[in-house]
Amino acid sequence: MIKQLFPIRHVMGYLASLVLSAAALIVIYGDLSHAANVVVLTVTAIIQASLQLFVFMHIGESADTKKELYINIAYALFVGLITLFGTLFIFVWGWYA
Amino acid sequence: MDLEKFKVHGEPLIYGAMVSIALATIGILVGLTYFKKWGYLWREWLTTVDHKKIGVMYILAALLMLFRGGVDAMMMRLQTAAPEMKFLDAQHYNEVFTTHGLIMILFMAMPFIIGLMNVIIPLQIGARDVAFPRLNAVSFWLFFFGAMLLNISFVIGGSPDAGWSAYFPLASLEFSPTVGNNYYSLALQISGIGTLITGVNFIVTILKMRAPGMTLMKMPMFTWSVLITNIIIVFAFPVLTVALALMMFDRLFGSQFFTMANGGMDMLWANLFWVWGHPEVYIVILPAFGIYSEIIATFSKKNLYGYTSMVFSMVIISLLSFLVWAHHFYTMGQGVMVNSFFSITTMAIAVPTGVKIFNWLFTLRKGRITFTTPMLYTLAFIPIFTIGGVTGVMLAMASADYQYHNTMFLVAHFHYVLIPGAVFAVIAGFHYWFPKVFGFRLNERLGKHAFWWIIISFNVTFFPLFFLGLMGMTRRMYTYSEETGFGPLNMLSFAGAVGLAIGFVLLVYNIYWSTRYMPRDTTSDPWDGRTLEWATPSPIPAYNFAVVPKVKSLDPFWEAKQKKVSLFEDKITKIHLPNNTGKPFILGVIFFFLGFFLVFSMWVPAIVAGVGVIVMLAAMSFDQDHGFYVSAEEVIATEKKLRGETV
Amino acid sequence: MKIDASKPLEYSTEENSNKIFGFWVFLGAEIPLFATLFTVYFVMVNRFADGPSGPELFEIGPVLAETFLLLTSSFTIGLAVHAMRLGHKKAMMIFMGITLLMGLGFIGIEIDEFFTYVHEGATLQTSGFLSSLFVLLGTHGAHVSFGFLWGVGIMIQLWRRGITPATANKTFIFSLFWHFLDVVWIFIFSFVYLKGLM
Repeated sequence: MIKQLFPIRHVMGYLASLVLSAAALIVIYGDLSHAANVVVLTVTAIIQASLQLFVFMHIGESADTKKELYINIAYALFVGLITLFGTLFIFVWGWYA
Repeated sequence: MDLEKFKVHGEPLIYGAMVSIALATIGILVGLTYFKKWGYLWREWLTTVDHKKIGVMYILAALLMLFRGGVDAMMMRLQTAAPEMKFLDAQHYNEVFTTHGLIMILFMAMPFIIGLMNVIIPLQIGARDVAFPRLNAVSFWLFFFGAMLLNISFVIGGSPDAGWSAYFPLASLEFSPTVGNNYYSLALQISGIGTLITGVNFIVTILKMRAPGMTLMKMPMFTWSVLITNIIIVFAFPVLTVALALMMFDRLFGSQFFTMANGGMDMLWANLFWVWGHPEVYIVILPAFGIYSEIIATFSKKNLYGYTSMVFSMVIISLLSFLVWAHHFYTMGQGVMVNSFFSITTMAIAVPTGVKIFNWLFTLRKGRITFTTPMLYTLAFIPIFTIGGVTGVMLAMASADYQYHNTMFLVAHFHYVLIPGAVFAVIAGFHYWFPKVFGFRLNERLGKHAFWWIIISFNVTFFPLFFLGLMGMTRRMYTYSEETGFGPLNMLSFAGAVGLAIGFVLLVYNIYWSTRYMPRDTTSDPWDGRTLEWATPSPIPAYNFAVVPKVKSLDPFWEAKQKKVSLFEDKITKIHLPNNTGKPFILGVIFFFLGFFLVFSMWVPAIVAGVGVIVMLAAMSFDQDHGFYVSAEEVIATEKKLRGETV
Repeated sequence: MKIDASKPLEYSTEENSNKIFGFWVFLGAEIPLFATLFTVYFVMVNRFADGPSGPELFEIGPVLAETFLLLTSSFTIGLAVHAMRLGHKKAMMIFMGITLLMGLGFIGIEIDEFFTYVHEGATLQTSGFLSSLFVLLGTHGAHVSFGFLWGVGIMIQLWRRGITPATANKTFIFSLFWHFLDVVWIFIFSFVYLKGLM
């Protein structure tokens, strides 16, 4: 019963997300360079987000909409990242001051 | 309570508007009661979930807003027709050009397009309805009450007056102390949520509900353009949602997003506004491209030239449209790298657009062209839109833009893009699909009269503005002195505006005249059409298709007519349809009051309305409504009647 | 209504699978929404004027508690959907209840944090940085609060009507929403709090 209700995939996914969150704490308590810290944050966050997407949200589960869902997420990320980095490009990196 | 803040003072024109709004409202209420139409209105329209009726309501609202925005335009042209005119004062002029822009883009062009797509898309893909019919009604009523909220600002509290782009710091509480820009942030927010829901609805409809056999590359071009448009809607509107929310926080709760002190950043508003605003241009123009593609193919009696390149050019336009927004504020003071980047991306959009223009020309080549009213608008669109596009490339060059920025040259440019690119298209689409919805055509002679008035007057109105811009006349100036020399060209432009008004009056008169006198269309295919919407009887039965068609090629109906085969192979069986519901309408009303109370910072009523929204959502979630079935016998009887056979 | 028995209950009718697909598209719209809020935050992060900056304000303790609650609740809502597919109504309700309680705990900690900030003189009106911080966190918190009400509504329907194609569909869509909120929180945790404190 217990085994049935707690599938191993989910348990592993959960443990992985806890470990990744803990690992990200190295940016506060560790002694890495600024650039390395940003890399650590980016990598742990992306892995965690993918965990949710693939393990918990079953994005690849429905065969007839699989391709559409990936295109949907890709387009959303495209617009989101363009807005984010484009704005920073305009107001921070590309600013005359 | 202080009633003073609700009042708008000082203008005889506004008092006139108040009186006419009050009289029109009373007239409608009395008329409905006298003719005992309340029940009809509620059962057939306010509670409908039928995509065709919702589409018709969108188009009616858009026509009303076209009238309202057109009156604004006439007032502006009159005020600037001669030097030192005293028709409007500066404040009133500000309100008029602001609402003109907002209404024409968001409450005329968008709903007109969404209306056409509501009516046509399910028919073109051979579906019985949209994916979520009740959600579709929610979309409409949110749009409608958002539009109403903006419109009452004119007589209650004052309209927004900082331009349709509402740049900060001008739009901040400090420099725009009236409630006008509160209306802006809330009315746009409410109708924007409705539009976002439409976007989700139509993406699902087009991707999941096509008739069997209609693969993506066999979809009609209008369906493709609507799919791409809705993708842009879904990903661009959230940015507007955030921008409007931040504006509301700044104005109502004193946050520091766009202020000039305490770390605020005024130009961040402009940035966010245009991140949404540029894709928005393509939201209104891409469906127009789709409409033109359908009309050109139909009236040239040829299939569309370069179908695949048409699709890919739209996909590329949709991606590029998110990469160009900074060209709206080249003169802000950012670095050369930034301007160069956005200059290049902007010019790049001309490439896929050019591909489309050539595809249309090649479709026309050697076609058997019939010059119907929709075709005339389409043929006029090509050269006029090209002028708009070429001047756009001029504006795209950042260094040259320092000269054109915020002049009448820009105003002329975007009218040359948006009027042929959106308004002519919806008028063409309106004439083209009118017989499908109502069962008779609009009169061709009157239609062509209106066309010539509109086309010629359009150029008389807007072409002089290019020169005025180059002479140095800036946009949004409410008057000028005689020495500037702006007078004669502005007078010419005003004359054009009068001609445009005559054209639109003729267009509306044509609807009235045709309703009374035009013979009913018995063929259900008056233009010898190519796509599935012409395969069902007109007016369209509630279930659209008695039998779901089987598609084997692009232009399936044309193919079937040529080969003399039927698209409908299966037997008629019972058909499932959704029930009507009044909840979307009620939700819209509550949203209207929520918006209104927030505009005037009336917190307690606003919280009550907010709770009302949540209660309504819960009520809709708890609803168990499985719809109803139309029996096979009933379908057969309806079909016989609609196709003119005796039962 | 045709029910396709080869698919899980929540996908079993055409309407159901359309709703799931539609909700994914809606989540696609939520991505640029939160991306825009992050954009505003990153532009504003050093514009704290006379108010406190991020490092002066943030405390890691409550943030870790919030993270733990949300991660765990994302796990339990996954288990609830799993139990639903097995047809265990009771286990499903228990997992969903745990999920919602953890969501409530999250909201409680967040509200407490907001009170602490305001107490330290950091309000929405203080600076551009604080405005963007409050609105980013507040939008996420509002989503969690809305999710809580929504989840309660679904649990009532489940309790009354049992696991049907309709309620299974609603629960599955709710689970997508809840996981998505967890994804957003991961980015807030990493790029607002940890980046602010490093």
